[in-house]
Amino acid sequence: MLQVEDLDAGYGESLAVHAVSLHVDGGEAVAVIGSNGAGKTTLLRAICGLLRPRAGTVTFNSESLVGEPAHRIARRGVAYVPAERHLFPAMSVQENLELGAYPLRADRRQLELVFELFPRLRDLLSQQAGTMSGGEQQMLAVGRALMSRPGLLMLDEPTTGLAPILAEEAYASLGVLRGEGTTVLVAEQQVPLALDLADRAYVIEDGRIQMEGPAGDLQGNPDVRRAYMGIA
Amino acid sequence: MAVVFDGVAYGLQLGLLAVGLTMIYGLGGVLNLAHGQFAVLAAIAIAVLSDRLPTPAALVAGLAIAALAALATDATIMRAVYRLDGEARVLLSLLLTIGLAFVIDGLLIYNYPFTQLKLSVPGPAVDILGVPMRRGSLAASALALSALALLIVFLRYTRRGRAVRSVIQDEEGAQLCGIDPARVRTAVFALSGALAGLAAVAEGLTSSVSATDGTELTILALIVTVVGGLGSVAGALLAGLLLGLVYTMSQVYIGTYVTLVILLLTAMVTILIRPAGLLGRGV
Ligand SMILES: Nc1ncnc2c1ncn2[C@@H]1O[C@H](COP(=O)(O)OP(=O)(O)OP(=O)(O)O)[C@@H](O)[C@H]1O
Ligand SMILES: [Mg+2]
Repeated sequence: MLQVEDLDAGYGESLAVHAVSLHVDGGEAVAVIGSNGAGKTTLLRAICGLLRPRAGTVTFNSESLVGEPAHRIARRGVAYVPAERHLFPAMSVQENLELGAYPLRADRRQLELVFELFPRLRDLLSQQAGTMSGGEQQMLAVGRALMSRPGLLMLDEPTTGLAPILAEEAYASLGVLRGEGTTVLVAEQQVPLALDLADRAYVIEDGRIQMEGPAGDLQGNPDVRRAYMGIA
Repeated sequence: MAVVFDGVAYGLQLGLLAVGLTMIYGLGGVLNLAHGQFAVLAAIAIAVLSDRLPTPAALVAGLAIAALAALATDATIMRAVYRLDGEARVLLSLLLTIGLAFVIDGLLIYNYPFTQLKLSVPGPAVDILGVPMRRGSLAASALALSALALLIVFLRYTRRGRAVRSVIQDEEGAQLCGIDPARVRTAVFALSGALAGLAAVAEGLTSSVSATDGTELTILALIVTVVGGLGSVAGALLAGLLLGLVYTMSQVYIGTYVTLVILLLTAMVTILIRPAGLLGRGV
């Protein structure tokens, strides 16, 4: 479904992502794990067109995404939920969700699916996004991304700013989505949560993929446990 | 009472003059210092065309000309401006649109030095709550009010209007929803040209517009925009009403020659109390 080959991306003179290759198959949940500044955000932004890749290829359903502007990539079915969420703060929950379906025009059925996943959003329908709690904003950000019926849902650290319980809840809803067959690519520092969710994972450091494999294998890998899970 | 009515009437016109400017700022962080010149361009076009066309056709054509001039600006000057970010973007927009303002001013003043847009609505004054109001003034208010109401309905309740607000509130969020900010900016730039033209029509109904008025209109629009909060449509309306009242009161009670100074003082006080403007978000 998504195929990234030898991707270089960065800012100004310097590269933050070097020759990264990864793939996500339909129905898979894939995690990209790494510490602060490893290049996770840069990688996702280069895939979804918010940052122009310097080199390499990105193909989605066998069409190239390189050089396409972000709004067109979104219309092709790649939804991205940034860590900062980028909601529309002075608009209601309903307006935010409806904008998520902008290219499709409002979509009642999809709205019901989002409410099934996040019943809380139904209660908050007329509340302004900017006045909601962090956990609620996270739900809204994911809900808005789902409104476009994306082929691939990409999330950057969906636990950002959430208390541990809420972080677990956020991953529980991603688990539900995964169970329903949604294809997910998630970048995360909270490695245990991400590896519980994912089928496969990539470890990125200094902008390079260091390791990859089934999530279960990485969970058991002593290097991964020491570096990311605080276990000796 | 009469002063208040006149103030509200003028305030609505100021609001109409400023909304286009404030939306463009909200969408791309740029200021168009040729905004008043677009208004005058429409006014002169309408005045010139009225000799040959029936008035309604001349009005539509004049507004269309202002919208097209704005479109041309977006396709040329603004392309370069939007390529930059942050402070450089605002600065380049200021420099280039001042240049454009000079060009439009020059062309209009040279070619139409004595042309004036003056639209009269014949008939005796209409009595409103005991205050006699001139028909032209009422027509201008009705025009400004309905244009502003339509704009607000468009922004709040239509799909495309929401797309405009989404880019104002979070450009990256809008892109992630499949909305092309460049297209939204182009459409709103054209709209702002037409709205400036409408503001000139309202001005033509109450007094007159001539080729030399561009700079004053730009300055007025700028003051209203800043007082209302850059990027806020509701703020522009509110600031328009406030400044309209201040303007007419100072004309009546103090004197015409200091009104612009008093407007600037009002703006200054507002900014000192609320640096982001009446309805501005943060700074
Ligand atoms: N806008 C930017 N301009 C310049 N350099 C940047 C910018 N954003 C990130 N970088 C640099 O690129 C590198 C990778 O950053 P990136 O944000 O992709 O890491 P990350 O893995 O997402 O980290 P975190 O977990 O802290 O979010 C870092 O060295 C960072 O300093
Ligand atoms: Mg990051």
